Amino acid sequence: MDRVRARDAGAFERLYDEYHRLVYGLAVRVLADPAGAEDVTQAVFLKLWTNPELFRGGNFAGWLARVARNRAVDVLRSRAVRSESDLPEALPADDALEDTAFARLDAERVRAALAQLPDEQRSLIELGFFGGITQEQISRQTGLPLGTVKTRMRTGLRRLRSALEDAVTV
Amino acid sequence: MTSHDELLDNVAAYALGVLSPAEAIEVRAHLQTCEACRAEYEALRPAVTAVAYSAESCADPSTGAVASPLLKARIMKQVRAEAERKPAPASWPAYALAAACVAVALISTFANFSLRNQLRSAQAMIGTQQQQNSRQAQQNARQARQNAEQSQTIADLTASNASRYRFGNGEVLAHGPRLYLAMRALPAPPPGKVYQAWTLPKGSKKMAPSLTFRPSAGGVTVIRLPESALGVTAVAVSVEPEGGSKQPTSTPIAVTQL
Repeated sequence: MDRVRARDAGAFERLYDEYHRLVYGLAVRVLADPAGAEDVTQAVFLKLWTNPELFRGGNFAGWLARVARNRAVDVLRSRAVRSESDLPEALPADDALEDTAFARLDAERVRAALAQLPDEQRSLIELGFFGGITQEQISRQTGLPLGTVKTRMRTGLRRLRSALEDAVTV
Repeated sequence: MTSHDELLDNVAAYALGVLSPAEAIEVRAHLQTCEACRAEYEALRPAVTAVAYSAESCADPSTGAVASPLLKARIMKQVRAEAERKPAPASWPAYALAAACVAVALISTFANFSLRNQLRSAQAMIGTQQQQNSRQAQQNARQARQNAEQSQTIADLTASNASRYRFGNGEVLAHGPRLYLAMRALPAPPPGKVYQAWTLPKGSKKMAPSLTFRPSAGGVTVIRLPESALGVTAVAVSVEPEGGSKQPTSTPIAVTQL
């Protein structure tokens, strides 16, 4: 990133090669639209090139993933006919917290860990994260009480973390 | 007021990005003061990062969607073109251009130049005017101050190292201690109502009232908030009765964390 800050196009290209599948994959998952996902990917990387200081250190892949998810949800937002209060707040992407526990995990490993979760937990986590909707809307869509939605998301995230920690230490 | 248990219940949803803006701002403020909730957030946040990783597309096109090589070509063409230009050009968000035009309109009226040309002309005019002011310093002291403020505003709004935060249909921008609210396409408030900005002071759980305002005829609003960006952790705007309120009486139309 230091070389990108110094306007090194070659360093930026290597960064793109390393991370574009993460950004594009996330955008496709949120938007279900390859063309829209390419637009998001382009916007995210050009923003990184123009404003590299937005990344303030810590886990780069995690930060970039949050920026990409927020951008894709923004596009959903612009397409959706929903009121502002029905739309979720963006993920905190500029949080100084360094969640380096999982600085860079193989997607297959995470998918395997997610697959170990009970369907009822995994589906709510994925609906919330990739669906760009609030927990109230999840509750309405699924017919589950809001308290149940909260508990399942929380339990699922805890289990996912444990499963990944086990996988990392093996 | 939301109870601690309810806030703790919302921490996972906050980490996952499924809270409404109003709920998120409450949890975010609470995390700064509550160790138990902070520990919960720190435990869950890496799991959310992992969920994001799970979406990474495969390198093999036969097993899923892959980005077109043309995408990389498009991006790198733009990057290489800009890498040859130094220093790095400032980014020009649409609202900054609109804001520049508002500042320009205060000084003079321009014909149909491009927005960027208007900004350059405005900066040149401000420079010229500041020279004149130096010759008639006392008479024009007030004018010079206004010009300096406008120059400062333009410099802040177009600074490449300013921190920008998405805010409704615009942005909150912080450059050093200076804090701006820039919104586009803002409808006129209902009769008897105004827009009011709110700031969350560091370490506080309660939003503090800031300026009240109305958008210009074109729906553009650029205001500098009196609070220092260094002492504020969040900004919000709500619709309030004329004269403003001491605490928000309606759901914020936009909120952001700094």
